[in-house]
Amino acid sequence: MTTSMELQDVHKSIGNKQIIKGLNFTIKRGEVFGFLGPNGAGKTTTIRMMVGLMKITSGDIKINGVSIKNNFKEAIQYVGAIVENPEMYPFMSGWKNLKHYARMIPDITDERIKEVIRLVGLEKAIHEKVGKYSLGMRQRMGIAQALLHQPSILILDEPTNGLDPAGIREIRTYIRNLAEQEQVSVIVSSHLLSEIELMCDRIGIIKNGELITVEEVQDTNTENDHVTVKLDVDDNEKVKSILQAQLELETKIVQDRVVANLAKSTVPQLVRKLVEEDIAIYEVAVERSRLEDKFFELIGENTIA
Amino acid sequence: MLNFISLLKNEQMKLYSRFATWSMYIILAGILLVGALIVFIFGEENEQTYGDDWKGQLAQENEELLEMNEDVGFVGFDSEIAVNEYHIENDVKPHPYDAWQFTLENAGLSMIISLFTIIVAAGIISNEYRWGTIKLLLIRPISRTKILLSKFVSVLLFSVTMLVFLFIISLVIGAIFFGINGWNPNLVQMGANEVEEVSIFAEIFTQYGLNMVNLVMMATFAFMISTLFRSSAMAIGLAIFLMFTGNTIIGFVAEYDWAKYILFANTNLNQYIGSGSPIIDGMTLGFSITVLVVYFVLFLLVSWLTFTKRDIAGN
Ligand SMILES: Nc1ncnc2c1ncn2[C@@H]1O[C@H](COP(=O)(O)OP(=O)(O)OP(=O)(O)O)[C@@H](O)[C@H]1O
Ligand SMILES: [Mg+2]
Repeated sequence: MTTSMELQDVHKSIGNKQIIKGLNFTIKRGEVFGFLGPNGAGKTTTIRMMVGLMKITSGDIKINGVSIKNNFKEAIQYVGAIVENPEMYPFMSGWKNLKHYARMIPDITDERIKEVIRLVGLEKAIHEKVGKYSLGMRQRMGIAQALLHQPSILILDEPTNGLDPAGIREIRTYIRNLAEQEQVSVIVSSHLLSEIELMCDRIGIIKNGELITVEEVQDTNTENDHVTVKLDVDDNEKVKSILQAQLELETKIVQDRVVANLAKSTVPQLVRKLVEEDIAIYEVAVERSRLEDKFFELIGENTIA
Repeated sequence: MLNFISLLKNEQMKLYSRFATWSMYIILAGILLVGALIVFIFGEENEQTYGDDWKGQLAQENEELLEMNEDVGFVGFDSEIAVNEYHIENDVKPHPYDAWQFTLENAGLSMIISLFTIIVAAGIISNEYRWGTIKLLLIRPISRTKILLSKFVSVLLFSVTMLVFLFIISLVIGAIFFGINGWNPNLVQMGANEVEEVSIFAEIFTQYGLNMVNLVMMATFAFMISTLFRSSAMAIGLAIFLMFTGNTIIGFVAEYDWAKYILFANTNLNQYIGSGSPIIDGMTLGFSITVLVVYFVLFLLVSWLTFTKRDIAGN
């Protein structure tokens, strides 16, 4: 695995206030990296330094081995980004907006612009003024301008902000495709775990300008891990007693669902037992508890959601 | 170079995609049209036609002017008399009022172009901040210096385009209302010491050029203020205030020696041309040009330093 981006002891102070206090992490090629933290943690500030909008007080950021600090023009060629809201020129059409950014990078043909428009699904509205676009459409425009030059690193600051569930899922699928098929490294920031955990390979948690931990997403759901299972069945009481008697599981009933905590490896066994006992099962929902628990533990429940 | 031209294209596209820009052209054309109508309806110049006996008409005019001179008691009409005499002596028939003279008279409207250019210069950087687009603009493989330069050159390009527009629309409106006499008629006017005959075309461009000096200086000033404070309102306000009060300020402090180093003492190069005289004794054209260049470089340097060094932080 080659490294796409490397943060080396990155600090940022504004005035005499330390905002970023020494970040060290690397992003691998073709990986989707989630950058998670509560409001004011320093996500946007870090992203601004990654793309050269803000100076790095001390430390360095290397993009494909090139320092953004010392060699901005080369390093930034590899990067496509949205920083905070994807603001466009409201008085120009989507097409003109994209043309504007295309002109700033060598060798971007009109064909490529059309391709990107198709990719984000904006063909119909592209000749209308951006001022008339909905937030979701502007978010797509933001992604389109970031992809024009086929960057090897895509940085998206809160890309799901303002999107409806269908839009979020679409972006998620799209980001996964980019990473898996085109080996693009993607950095997505968010303050909502639920919005990014499904698309990320790893998630770094930042709080008060410090990286608290970096977690592999798959890791949180290995065979031995305990998961919470919610069962929607026809006879709650009967299921409860079966689980207690045959699997020795503690259960409770929450919102008309039987809830149990068990090792992931015993889930198939549980389902088999219930089928044998002739229980009608409408839904078996497995919640990934560990990651969430970890975040709540680290950051505190009310600040993260 | 190629990508600098692309940057200029971008800036022009953004400028001309907005109605505000077009409204400036509309306002300018509107003022000219109203001016032409007023001259056409109430003006006397266009009624003054010279027949076959134009020499006799001019001689009579001169007598009237001499009388008025004596009535008033000072030499108010000396130059008109001299001009008329030049016509008679050199056998040059005065042209009736036409599109060329209309265009020359309206060269003063480049003052309005200065105003519009200040507005454009004040917005070209600060608007990117206001719209939030500055973030997407500065994450391309192009140095900030180049982006700043392309914006400044775009402002100048805008003012030149407007001047060309002013010239063409003046000629067209003038031609419609007053007709046109040839393609480059001469104009007899009072020079530095004596009456001279100049090409009206050259005269129009001298006037445009002289007004450009003031225009470029004030636009550069507005450009600097807007880069510095990221506020177009402040830049427009300050630049226009100074443009209109500059001469008054000079009037107040003219007695001091340092007054000649003030920008506004030097922006009006008309003081060295034709019958003009310097605002402050001892100033020369060379001196003024040096002062102007120093201010110009200073304004650009301040813009450059703030634009290239500043963090693009959220606001
Ligand atoms: N220009 C600035 N001057 C002073 N402090 C700033 C400036 N910009 C950001 N900060 C501070 O830096 C901290 C981090 O801000 P940042 O915008 O990076 O947070 P964030 O993680 O992106 O939060 P959010 O989830 O709200 O987007 C905040 O405490 C903020 O007050
Ligand atoms: Mg943020």
